[in-house]
Amino acid sequence: MSRSYDRALTVFSPDGHLFQVEYALEAVKKGTCAVGVRGKDVVVLGVEKKSVLQLQDPRTVRKVVMLDDHICLAFAGLNADGRVLIDKARIECQSHRLTVEDPVTVEYITRHIAGIQQRYTQSGGVRPFGISTLIVGFDPNDTRPRLYQTEPGGTYSAWKANAIGRSSKTVREFLEKNHKDDMSRDETIKLTIKSLLEVVQTGAKNIEINVMESYGKISALDLSQIEAIVAEIEREKEAEAERKRSRLAATAAGQAAMSQAAGTQQ
Amino acid sequence: MNTFAERFSVSGSAAEIRRAKEVIGEDDDFTGVMWGSAGGFGNLSKGVPTFSVPSVPDPTDFLRLHTDDHADPSCKIKIKHGTTTLAFRFQGGVIVAVDSRATAGSYVASGTVKKVIEINPYLLGTMAGGAADCQYWETYLGIECRLHELRNRERISVAAASKYLSNLVYSYKGMGLSMGTMICGWDKTGPAIFYVDSDGTRLKGDLFSVGSGSTFAYGVLDQGYRWDLTDEEAQELGRRSIYAAGHRDAFSGNTINLYHVKQDGWKFIGNYDVSEMHYNGPGGTGGYGYGVRVEGRTSANPAS
Amino acid sequence: MDISFALTGKGYVLIAADTTAARSIVKMKSDEDKIKVLSPHLLMAFSGEPGDTVQFAEYVERNMRLYHIRHNHELRPPAAASWIRRSLADSIRSRKPYAVNLLLGGYEPRERTPHLYWIDYLGTLATVPFGAHGYGAYFALSLLDRYHDPEATLEEGLATLRRCIDEVSKRLVVSPGKYKVKIVDADGVREVEL
Repeated sequence: MSRSYDRALTVFSPDGHLFQVEYALEAVKKGTCAVGVRGKDVVVLGVEKKSVLQLQDPRTVRKVVMLDDHICLAFAGLNADGRVLIDKARIECQSHRLTVEDPVTVEYITRHIAGIQQRYTQSGGVRPFGISTLIVGFDPNDTRPRLYQTEPGGTYSAWKANAIGRSSKTVREFLEKNHKDDMSRDETIKLTIKSLLEVVQTGAKNIEINVMESYGKISALDLSQIEAIVAEIEREKEAEAERKRSRLAATAAGQAAMSQAAGTQQ
Repeated sequence: MNTFAERFSVSGSAAEIRRAKEVIGEDDDFTGVMWGSAGGFGNLSKGVPTFSVPSVPDPTDFLRLHTDDHADPSCKIKIKHGTTTLAFRFQGGVIVAVDSRATAGSYVASGTVKKVIEINPYLLGTMAGGAADCQYWETYLGIECRLHELRNRERISVAAASKYLSNLVYSYKGMGLSMGTMICGWDKTGPAIFYVDSDGTRLKGDLFSVGSGSTFAYGVLDQGYRWDLTDEEAQELGRRSIYAAGHRDAFSGNTINLYHVKQDGWKFIGNYDVSEMHYNGPGGTGGYGYGVRVEGRTSANPAS
Repeated sequence: MDISFALTGKGYVLIAADTTAARSIVKMKSDEDKIKVLSPHLLMAFSGEPGDTVQFAEYVERNMRLYHIRHNHELRPPAAASWIRRSLADSIRSRKPYAVNLLLGGYEPRERTPHLYWIDYLGTLATVPFGAHGYGAYFALSLLDRYHDPEATLEEGLATLRRCIDEVSKRLVVSPGKYKVKIVDADGVREVEL
């Protein structure tokens, strides 16, 4: 009886925590990483793909899905929970069109998804969704790209760039350091891949990139395109390292020369 | 021990909560409606509103029995039918014009009815059919539009507002609602008019007229309508069209109410007496009446 | 009062519907679209009780879209027809049935065959080479029995459709003024000028 607050939901712990919600966040942290980056008039979703088993059909493992013509969602956490939430969101997208004629706005569907997640933290006999989501898209009659995040507790927020899932903290810090406002399409894609490479050691074959350029215009990069960008990033890193090395060597040589000069003087 | 007593008592804390739950309309079940369109606040509102149905075997028959003045002239509830309302879209926005007569059978019940319902500063609704139905549901629509604004931080489109009303009356189809209304306003897409009636029909268009006098209004309106009317011409056309209906239709008349919707919301232009329009026109600029117009002219041709 | 026709030809389905929205003796609108595009290769003309028609058509439209998004594949015409028929069959047995009649035309890219279905508010589903609803049916069905050619080119098909419309204009007391015509074939759905 005394410890039941960390077993059943809708019960606070004495210091104000909902443990089940916090456990759900742990499940999210175990999920593969997903990154969303907003550029000037483009928004990019990048996800870390788990390597499929040799005999598995890779098409059946999806982490980025369409909710409607103009909205995409990526999630991190329990795949099965994601599937349920996505279906609810898709129904709402069509239901919204049916009841008010207009397509949903990105914020509306985000709020709806967060609303569902919140309900599952405040009702008996249910557990929270073990997923965080990144929702990207364009509002109808608008050219600004949107990026939102939701969490198991039901909170939602808008971002310039963000990451969820495994090592998301590292990726977010990387994005904080390197994100610039008004990036072009190519810059945005590059930053997305670069940030993912911070945590994806295996490179291009485990990265999936989706680009949304305007209302309803969405495309996925194929492996060769990603590989090209990864190679470019590698080259830049190499060059950077080379510069650093030569600078280091130069200073070392300089120091050596100085000390030598000092030595001869002595 | 006293839990049993408490559960059925009418005072005390349990009863308070029970009453509160009834007022909020809360229950613990998950229903499909909660996941439906509720502005993302499935737990705060439950989609389409409901009201309880009277406890008679067939509400529709019951209502018809008490409201159908064709079958039973002595029926208790008379639904207002005679009206003329019109709205049209043009280069300078939307013109909405209506008459102000309320009839109950052959009796003129009132000559000063407001048949334009000011839903909010950007939306107008017109009233034809059951006055109570229009007034109640369009006011209700105003509440929902405001909630939409608060939830989504942007004004509701005319399309969405009219769709909301149309879905609402459709859910009561066959239960005796009687409305023929035009939802007019200005949104991101510019000026817009939707015709919504209690059948559940919803039409987008440039020009509509509704009510018993609508045919007379159409006669003048269709002939004088152009997209590039000036504001003054458009207002004059609205006034003349309602005058025509007020003159020819026994169930329309008394006065004309004229509104103009522009980008920054609607504006009330004025109230005009139909008789005054007949003899003198607005501000005494010349009567609309046929007799006044052809004063002193004749078809007789004695010269030939 | 709504009138709609549909006919199949070599590799296409043509659907035509009038564009008037009337209330008692008044035409409220003369450019109403009564043919819904349900998916890239599916068209549906609807007629019947005002209110019900649009409500039901939009309900079907959104469900078709939901299927497409969920499965990344559009519902095939025979499956769509079955689903719609079942919806109406359930509806007629409910407290408030939809009084809607439909003509459903689709094209199946893989088998390269056009499909046309005639569906009424009772939940009747018939596969037909041509079909009509409303008063137009009284004139057009005999005409199409005589003139319909399952192998007609698009030009010939349009000419036959024009015969139907002309006949109705000639003989029906209150005939509608304008029609909207849509086609579905291998290239998908588009509107055509008669």
